[in-house]
Amino acid sequence: MNIADAIKSLDELNFDLKYEVKNNNELYIRLKPEQIRKIVSIFIYVYKFNYICEFDTPGKDLIINCMFSNSKEGYYITCSYITKKNPVNLQNIIHQSRLFQREINKDYDYKVKEVSGTGAYQVAVGPVHAGIIEPGHFRFSVMGEAIENLEIRLMYKHRGIEKLCQGIDASSLNLMFERVSGESTVAYGEAYALLVEKLLNKEVSREIKAFRIVLLELERIYNYLDDLGGIANDIGFSYPAKKFGYFSEIIHQLCERITGSRFMRNALVPLGINIDFTVEKKKDIMATLRSLKPRINSIIKTSFNSVSFLDRVEDTGMVSRVMAKKLCMTGVVARACNLKYDVRVNFAYELYKEIKSGTNTTLKGGVFERYKLKSIELNDAFDFIEKALTYINTDIKRDKQAICFKDGLEAITSVETVKGELVVYGLTGKDNKFARIYFKTPSFTNWSGMSEAVLGEIVPDFPVINKSFNMSYSENDK
Amino acid sequence: MRNILDRIKYGTETIKDPLINNEFSYGKILAKNNLCTNCGKCTDECIVSAIKINTNANDENIINIDEKKCIYCRNCVDTCPESALEMTNDYKMESLELAGEKLRKNIYKIFNRSLSLRVVDTGSCNACMSELSSTQNTFYDISRFGINVAASPRHADGLVVTGIVTKNMKEALLKTYEAMAEPKIVIAVGSCSYDGGIFKDGEGVYDVLKNILPVDLVIPGCPPSPQAIIFGLLKLTGKIDKK
Repeated sequence: MNIADAIKSLDELNFDLKYEVKNNNELYIRLKPEQIRKIVSIFIYVYKFNYICEFDTPGKDLIINCMFSNSKEGYYITCSYITKKNPVNLQNIIHQSRLFQREINKDYDYKVKEVSGTGAYQVAVGPVHAGIIEPGHFRFSVMGEAIENLEIRLMYKHRGIEKLCQGIDASSLNLMFERVSGESTVAYGEAYALLVEKLLNKEVSREIKAFRIVLLELERIYNYLDDLGGIANDIGFSYPAKKFGYFSEIIHQLCERITGSRFMRNALVPLGINIDFTVEKKKDIMATLRSLKPRINSIIKTSFNSVSFLDRVEDTGMVSRVMAKKLCMTGVVARACNLKYDVRVNFAYELYKEIKSGTNTTLKGGVFERYKLKSIELNDAFDFIEKALTYINTDIKRDKQAICFKDGLEAITSVETVKGELVVYGLTGKDNKFARIYFKTPSFTNWSGMSEAVLGEIVPDFPVINKSFNMSYSENDK
Repeated sequence: MRNILDRIKYGTETIKDPLINNEFSYGKILAKNNLCTNCGKCTDECIVSAIKINTNANDENIINIDEKKCIYCRNCVDTCPESALEMTNDYKMESLELAGEKLRKNIYKIFNRSLSLRVVDTGSCNACMSELSSTQNTFYDISRFGINVAASPRHADGLVVTGIVTKNMKEALLKTYEAMAEPKIVIAVGSCSYDGGIFKDGEGVYDVLKNILPVDLVIPGCPPSPQAIIFGLLKLTGKIDKK
């Protein structure tokens, strides 16, 4: 069902809605608060749209936007309504709705659950953890050995990034985007670049598009190497853990040689690229990756051949497909549960349409599947870089242009970061600044997937499950 | 068996001198005062307002770049029409605060030149955390210098803080600090932890670290590279002077 069909079939229902199509793949529907529950149930049960998020936009009264996507045809649907009170409760239609409404209502009252009975106790962990990790509080309710319930309390790092974005000029806003989550610096930079290019309806050259893929996939490589190393480390298999750490260091150094920053910061800018790319750099990337790929694969093979490793990871931290769908999980974690969804395929950006075909999935959704899928995606990333580099035959010169846009434009973009689907909504305001930026970060919904995965496991298995998800606290807290 | 073969084939991968000169790294920004025309383009471009230009009595423009504030995005270097600014690859930008100088002698005596650190993240973008854990990988291997990460503040001599202090993390930070035994050191890693950096005006931000705890060592950078972190820590433990 494409956009025209969706409008047509909605029209037949006589709801008296106002439709607006923007930027080719965004449908905005304005409706009344009393209609939203009916429309949402039709979207979810009849049209099978994916629920993405709910957020508010500035206005005289509270304007609530519910965002959906049709991943088959690749378009977004935003239903917005004006309300004087709290947003309409969608809890019994969409499971995750409350997660987003809590942010809009600023309803942060929370009571920690209590457990009672024989052998029942609670383990409180955090916010300051042992080791080099970000802050977050975990409360395990345990009966004997098995975890009965896990409550994850986050937002310790809330800085108010969305509000900060409204005060920065559009030409240097990419710096703020890149610092939402350091691990996915390039993906956030890409999301901003796509947002601005969509607002201004401009495109960059094929060479730059290919080069952006190189940067995006390099980021994927070092993140997945860290993830694989982390899983091996938490199991106590030190050889792969240390080697993956070393490989990720080599990739970081490669990134530094190409862009001057180990996290490739301020390299990817809207309407162009902020660094020079020469043939020497291209050769450097090819040589480094070619020497690294067989080594990485041999270490992955080592771990797969180890019985004690498989014993720990197999059938640990399972999430069923139904639950993953219900919790709106995205990214590798969701694909490990057999949810066939990848932004690079369903909402192809840059040159992914030509480079990537098919989505990798595994069936069961445990730690082993996540480990395996990450190693598959890692190998894919090497191939994508090789393919993307064939598009670049000339030197790319640094090209940064000033950004200038009108008041009142809006656009939605999504990018597949290392953690999952990142959706950014932007509404332009006066003085070349944004009036509203909304991030639907992948970690935000995936964290609740983890509290599902640990159920029935023992507390010592929690670090492994946590590392196999490896969600970012920073992008969740914003 | 496989990993023994791998080990034999590739040997040791640890770098001998982690403080080797890195020509690709970002670093100190050098200002050529005689070229500056005080056009103000760089100060407009800087989103953390780390650049200040003063004109002295002889009509000379003196560019002042605050290394602890700078996020090293290179935008000022790229915009300057006179190319008065230049980015070097000198990552050794650590700065010891006054109390730190005194503490250095203590560290030499009491801690026997080894440090065990406690890392608390109070609101960074997690790049600093990633770089801190990179110092422990087999390439840099910071533990050979006697620097380790402790799992509890009770076992730690120093507190490493990354990121700006948010309202929600303030209490946890102070409790961690109080739980540590005297004498204790505070190390600020990254530009936003010491001086706020890019998140300074955020609504969830409580204050910058320098107003909350006495900071002994600042390692600037966004994020500081593992080399910069190792250099800062070695300087603190007094191992650089010996070389």
